Amino acid sequence: MAIFNLKNREIECKIVYYGPGRSGKTTNLEYIFKTYKKQVTDQMVTIDTEGDRTLFFDFLPMGLGKIKGCDVKVQLYTVPGQVQYSSTRKLVLKGADGIVFVADSFTIRREKNMLSLKDLDQNLKECGLNIFKVPLILQYNKRDVGGSIPIMSIEMMQNDLNKQLKVPSFPASALTGEGVGATLKECMKLTLVHLQKEFKWAQ
Amino acid sequence: MGIKEQIKSVLREAEIYRTQGLFNEAMVKFKYASELIEKNVKPENGRHLIDGITKKIELLKQTISKYNDPEKPPEMPVEIQNLIKAKFSFSTDKESAALDGAIALTKFGQFERAIKEFKELLKMESFRLVAAKNILRCYFASSTSSVDGAVSQYKEWLALGLFTPGQLEKIKVFLENLLKEKGVEIKLPAVKEEKAVVKEEVTAKSAPAKAMPATKPLIETPESGKEEDDFLDVSSVGIVLEAGGKKHSEITLDVSFQSGNMVCLIVPVREKLLIESMKAGLRLNNVQFYSPIAILNGSGVVAAFTKISSGPKMGNYSLDLKMFTN
Repeated sequence: MAIFNLKNREIECKIVYYGPGRSGKTTNLEYIFKTYKKQVTDQMVTIDTEGDRTLFFDFLPMGLGKIKGCDVKVQLYTVPGQVQYSSTRKLVLKGADGIVFVADSFTIRREKNMLSLKDLDQNLKECGLNIFKVPLILQYNKRDVGGSIPIMSIEMMQNDLNKQLKVPSFPASALTGEGVGATLKECMKLTLVHLQKEFKWAQ
Repeated sequence: MGIKEQIKSVLREAEIYRTQGLFNEAMVKFKYASELIEKNVKPENGRHLIDGITKKIELLKQTISKYNDPEKPPEMPVEIQNLIKAKFSFSTDKESAALDGAIALTKFGQFERAIKEFKELLKMESFRLVAAKNILRCYFASSTSSVDGAVSQYKEWLALGLFTPGQLEKIKVFLENLLKEKGVEIKLPAVKEEKAVVKEEVTAKSAPAKAMPATKPLIETPESGKEEDDFLDVSSVGIVLEAGGKKHSEITLDVSFQSGNMVCLIVPVREKLLIESMKAGLRLNNVQFYSPIAILNGSGVVAAFTKISSGPKMGNYSLDLKMFTN
């Protein structure tokens, strides 16, 4: 849940990167950390295992500066994607104002994407949120890999994941940065618009 | 595509999945490549290829098994623990936020630090019992602390007089259950009522502790106007009998389903005393909610109580309980 300080005209919101294990959530944050140095306000915190799997979460605080006279701060988190870290995912998701769902474009990960989206829906419900109402962006990651690896078409991914949701979606390659900024910007935009309805912070 | 090219392509694919950390997918492809070789390549040419693939599959199996059975999370640096405490405390009042923080540390496996935080919470009357039980749970979960640590802690509390005799009795029963679960047989010293009462008075005088909102729920419930689903995952529920021959004894029931603060419990037909006293609308004043990482005290209201008339649990009873934490 966003924190709005009326006196200082400051708003702090939370965006969570969700998705199946190894879909590139941490890589998204790493790219943001490297690229948006001006906006990043502190070190990125990564808590992973020796195999680079996120163990707890990643955390990246950012400051967007003044928007409509309000100092906007954003905290980016990733959840651990591995199935066994369900309770950690739930805990990290709690209080999210916006969500980026990072889907894996590999055909072989098709079912995992769908299961993870279902898991997100369930965990949002448990947090008292509705997947159709929460600011949500889909990112179709690993578009760059291709070659000898079968990857799904955007149409197929849209059909699998976005048929009902109808939320903005972006093809991306977190490794090269393609689509990473656009995804984040759109998520921030949706989140701030959503929070405006709630807090009227921009007045 | 010729068979040679097909095998090469499958192996390339497997290798990419492996480097991407998609170990299960890599293994499937390696196995498929191995099958293709066996079927299509002469044994004298294919043998060394299959041997190489078998080694890779073995390594993948080891890696997968490591990830499927992860070791307990390592103790993190203080800065990260502080971050966990700060970022995963959602309550608005300071004291409840402190409890949130300690529970979050437990959830992230930071047991040593969580014990320290729960010990601070012992100073607060309304959180004392919950904090004590969580401390014991942390001792059992931590890799460096031990059963002995939990027992010593209990003995220390007995001597300290921080708790009322009733609270000490609950802690004792709780610790006995933990020991039982662990298969350890240790006879715990009994609670000495007078001593505990006297000491409690002394403690109350010497430690006026911060004022606490005594009725503040640990986890928000619909009654407090918060989200209905905002409740810890509960794995089992302990109901303390309030009447009858086995008054004060606790019956532990496994949760078969949970939705927010509503749990569905299966009551075995052998629990006659419990079954006789159950009816919809009944308030149970002394209930323990066991989650994998925290134990909460509370109460419950029976939403429904019915006999199961079909299926493998036929003859037992289904109890829907609405949970409220203290």
